[in-house]
Amino acid sequence: MAIKILSVDDSRTIRLIVGKAFRPYAVTLLEAANGEEGLVVAAREKPDLVILDVTMPVMDGVTMLTKLKEDPALKGIPVIMLTAESGRENVLQIARLGVRDYLVKPFKEDQLLEKVGRCVTLEKRPVVVAPA
Amino acid sequence: MQPDINQYRELARRYGLAAIPESVTRLTQLVARQDSNVDDIVRVIEKDPALSARLLRAANPRAADESEYTVDSVESALMRNGIGCALLLAMGTPLSLALVKTFQTMLSLTLEPVEVKQLEALVGEHMRCSIGFAGKVAGRVYLRMSSATARAIAAGILGLNPGEITDNNEVSDAAGELLNIMTGNFKSNLCDAGLDCKLEPPQVGMTDDFETPVEPGGGMERLAFQAGDIQIFVEVTANPWSD
Repeated sequence: MAIKILSVDDSRTIRLIVGKAFRPYAVTLLEAANGEEGLVVAAREKPDLVILDVTMPVMDGVTMLTKLKEDPALKGIPVIMLTAESGRENVLQIARLGVRDYLVKPFKEDQLLEKVGRCVTLEKRPVVVAPA
Repeated sequence: MQPDINQYRELARRYGLAAIPESVTRLTQLVARQDSNVDDIVRVIEKDPALSARLLRAANPRAADESEYTVDSVESALMRNGIGCALLLAMGTPLSLALVKTFQTMLSLTLEPVEVKQLEALVGEHMRCSIGFAGKVAGRVYLRMSSATARAIAAGILGLNPGEITDNNEVSDAAGELLNIMTGNFKSNLCDAGLDCKLEPPQVGMTDDFETPVEPGGGMERLAFQAGDIQIFVEVTANPWSD
């Protein structure tokens, strides 16, 4: 069965790159453009992993992470931060809230896959052979 | 050493976070203190040939090359331009590093920093992305490029051929994200030095306006980059101690 990964980023470009990275794998990719949308999707879909940006309109990633960790039904979902901000205060605050890993933009697909692979099992999507 | 610095270093090692050059971190910290001794700032800049070269270039805006410099020492450049220009140097470095790294990791292209005058100037309508920042330091970062360059960048990031990009929103979004990555990196450096600031949402669009407003009492540094046909211009304006 495909695992569910939720990508929360206000940049469509980043969501497309994340989607492209998981295309060969049995992954159902869920998307949200800000923390508020992300919480709604997380509550509805119970993803196996969340990939979360920090700076977003409406609700930023730190607020979403805080709310996620306060919710007994969602707090066990591993979160990887995917952000351009690696300042000391940001990293310390986010680490205290409880993230599994931290990936700074710009990033390569294989870096993302390696970090995700440490949190969930990524299985190759079965190759479907069209009938002759 | 403070416990949170040790903890941060441990987290940075575990997460694989790249460090800003020590000279740039030190320079930002000195400028942020406001009461810093100019001699301390001179020493930090003089130890870093790249920072020294950029400062002297900024202090001799009309010189075609080093032989025409009338301001030829770091100390006299700081005396002439003020300590605020040291902050611009400190801000430009993380911006440059992030831009070059983005091209390397996401487009597999080696983007070289070049002198602005080495490149052909943009003419007429071009893409301009900008992000303002406000707090203990205020200013704006501008990214300018031709529409063909913007399209090539979007295609490269998304793994497509430029002709496959049919939606102009994809071009704008990719350019905006490029600027987000650059400014996120330099904001981290400023905040770590005590110059807390917040980024405003990016503005992306086509324009034929080449004016770059400078903050009252502030300064501006222009940077340029090239990789084959791709040419990118960056402008940073800043006013330290704006609050």
